[in-house]
Amino acid sequence: MQTTVVGNYPKILNRPKPARLRNAINKRDRGDLTNEELAQIKDEVTIEAIAEQIAAGIDLVTDGQLRWDDDQTYVARNFKNIEIGALQRYLDTNTYYREPEVNGPVSFQKPTLAPDWEFAHKNSSKPVKAIVPGPYTLASLSVDKHYNSRERLALAYAEALREEIQALIAAGCKNIQINDPVIAFAKEDFKFFQAAIVKLLDGISGAETGVYTWFSDCASILPQMLELPIDVIGLDFVWGRANWDALKTVSFNKKLGLGIVDARNTRLESPDGVAEAIKRAAESVPAERIYAGPSCGLEYVPRETAFEKLKVLVEGARRVEGVPA
Amino acid sequence: MATQTKTKNAAKLDRPLPLTTTAVGSYAKPDYLTKARSEFTQGKIDRAELDKLEKKATEYWIRVQEKVGLDVLVHGEMERGDMVAYFSGEEGGNPIKGMKLGGLVRSYGNRYYHKPIIHDRLEYPGPMTVDMWKYAQGLTDRPVKGMLTGAYTMVEWSFDEAYPTRREAVLDMARIIRSEVQELVKAGCYYIQIDEPAIHTRPEEDFQLAIEAMHATVDGIDAEFHTHICYGPVEKVYTEMVKLPVKQIHLAFKNTDFSYLDLIRENGYPAGKDLGVGVTDIHTRFIENVDEVKDGLRRTLELLPADRLWILPDCGLKTRTVEESEAKLRVMVEAVQAIRREIGA
Repeated sequence: MQTTVVGNYPKILNRPKPARLRNAINKRDRGDLTNEELAQIKDEVTIEAIAEQIAAGIDLVTDGQLRWDDDQTYVARNFKNIEIGALQRYLDTNTYYREPEVNGPVSFQKPTLAPDWEFAHKNSSKPVKAIVPGPYTLASLSVDKHYNSRERLALAYAEALREEIQALIAAGCKNIQINDPVIAFAKEDFKFFQAAIVKLLDGISGAETGVYTWFSDCASILPQMLELPIDVIGLDFVWGRANWDALKTVSFNKKLGLGIVDARNTRLESPDGVAEAIKRAAESVPAERIYAGPSCGLEYVPRETAFEKLKVLVEGARRVEGVPA
Repeated sequence: MATQTKTKNAAKLDRPLPLTTTAVGSYAKPDYLTKARSEFTQGKIDRAELDKLEKKATEYWIRVQEKVGLDVLVHGEMERGDMVAYFSGEEGGNPIKGMKLGGLVRSYGNRYYHKPIIHDRLEYPGPMTVDMWKYAQGLTDRPVKGMLTGAYTMVEWSFDEAYPTRREAVLDMARIIRSEVQELVKAGCYYIQIDEPAIHTRPEEDFQLAIEAMHATVDGIDAEFHTHICYGPVEKVYTEMVKLPVKQIHLAFKNTDFSYLDLIRENGYPAGKDLGVGVTDIHTRFIENVDEVKDGLRRTLELLPADRLWILPDCGLKTRTVEESEAKLRVMVEAVQAIRREIGA
């Protein structure tokens, strides 16, 4: 078993510690800092976020997505014919993202994610997982002014995102997480979600790939998800409790992203609670095929809480393995 | 001339008006108040000084609304930063017991806020909004609405470390908001707006809970209740939403170019309820023209009579400048006056 995170990590520390990234962006916006100076600070805070995950004991880390405003715009804004539109509420949160507006055929221009991964990899003693927005979710949360079809838009995104994945693999990345949470809210779309995943991963080899969902369960589509051409299925067992029962009814032939620490609430879990949840999942999936992690990205809680939660996660996982904490 | 047998109650309209004009809640804080709030946080000025400036700004907005000609006023929320945090530990407020402000969480872009935490069982701390309401109502002979945040939104937009289920937290919170409603009524307040912008967060799972919480907040209390429901999938919750036990529901019509009218046309709107119609977009600096607003009003009047319609901006105006807010209110009132003449009201 390994521990991991599900992508993003809170961007700033709380007072009295300085909110470096927030202050730097404000300064840049006022014209008191150059873009180059801001880029340098983004590098530095990214290194800190990686170090914090490692200090908590996480086995498979990410760069924390500190450079990302949101999953929808960070990569898509560099595709051809995308403009950044209005603020929208993200799923059932009180957090907002900007809608990508699709004004013409979408295509890849230059890699966004591979340089970030290389930077993180250079600055991490643990393997770094890359985060890629899922084509289906991206299409669902965009404003389509060109294709007049969410399905065709999803397939176009899949083609463009595949080039991001190819660039990541060429750079040496071995773990790729695809974020597709919307499918848990719109299970009736499974066929075209699947078509988009198939297109996204067409011809891809050389890295472990996973699709992650959150905020709801995938109970009724879990059997079909296990047929996707992918290595890991990530599920949220906190906000999608029905995943527990669903897990018992399938023969789980892939690796499981086991989201068990609530990344949307400050209430701290106990290591024993974490250990129990892992053991419960291990009745259906062999422990060596489990990635234990938070229920979603940790940006919904303050930075200090995120760190505490990761420490509890790791301590709980070590109890299962019988490793002294 | 008949002798007046009863003193006029300033907090209530004498009779229903055709197209009653009002506002949703917040206005922009003048620069001197923004500065004073940050000086207060840094300990540079005391509570009495901040209080004086909050009252000065409140009076400013009362006079603006009178001058523009609104029928029912709001006090402008000069003392509040955020609609949930004000009740949860924001400087200057009287926080609900069991709540505190947590660390910083990002809401979008480079914007962060202190998300409240329910850290213990909730208890009513005594009046939270009554003094400011009394002050504002004392300034004017037009009714001033009482302004509260609903139980479901209070809980949904906070972390919860204390309750086993969201349901228990929401129903406990409803008892607390009810206590505040009772205090407002005791002080003489008649129109009480209970905002629930988070109500459509989980339509299937939680909507009945939100309705139950509103019942627990208002049932049996002699006042007129309004609720403001913000942007979001209103179409998904419409048929349940109209069951909320309030006299008036207001929605952001302008933001969706009056598409909510289709919902009303298809599903009806309950006979006992008034409708609050947002006619100016608060997210844009652009000031609508009078004809545009008149057009929206005419379309709405095809479905509901004038004496069941209240006319307001789409949402609170705190993100707009003082000048933009005044201009938007002016256009709204001018359009209402023209339509009143047109329909002979």
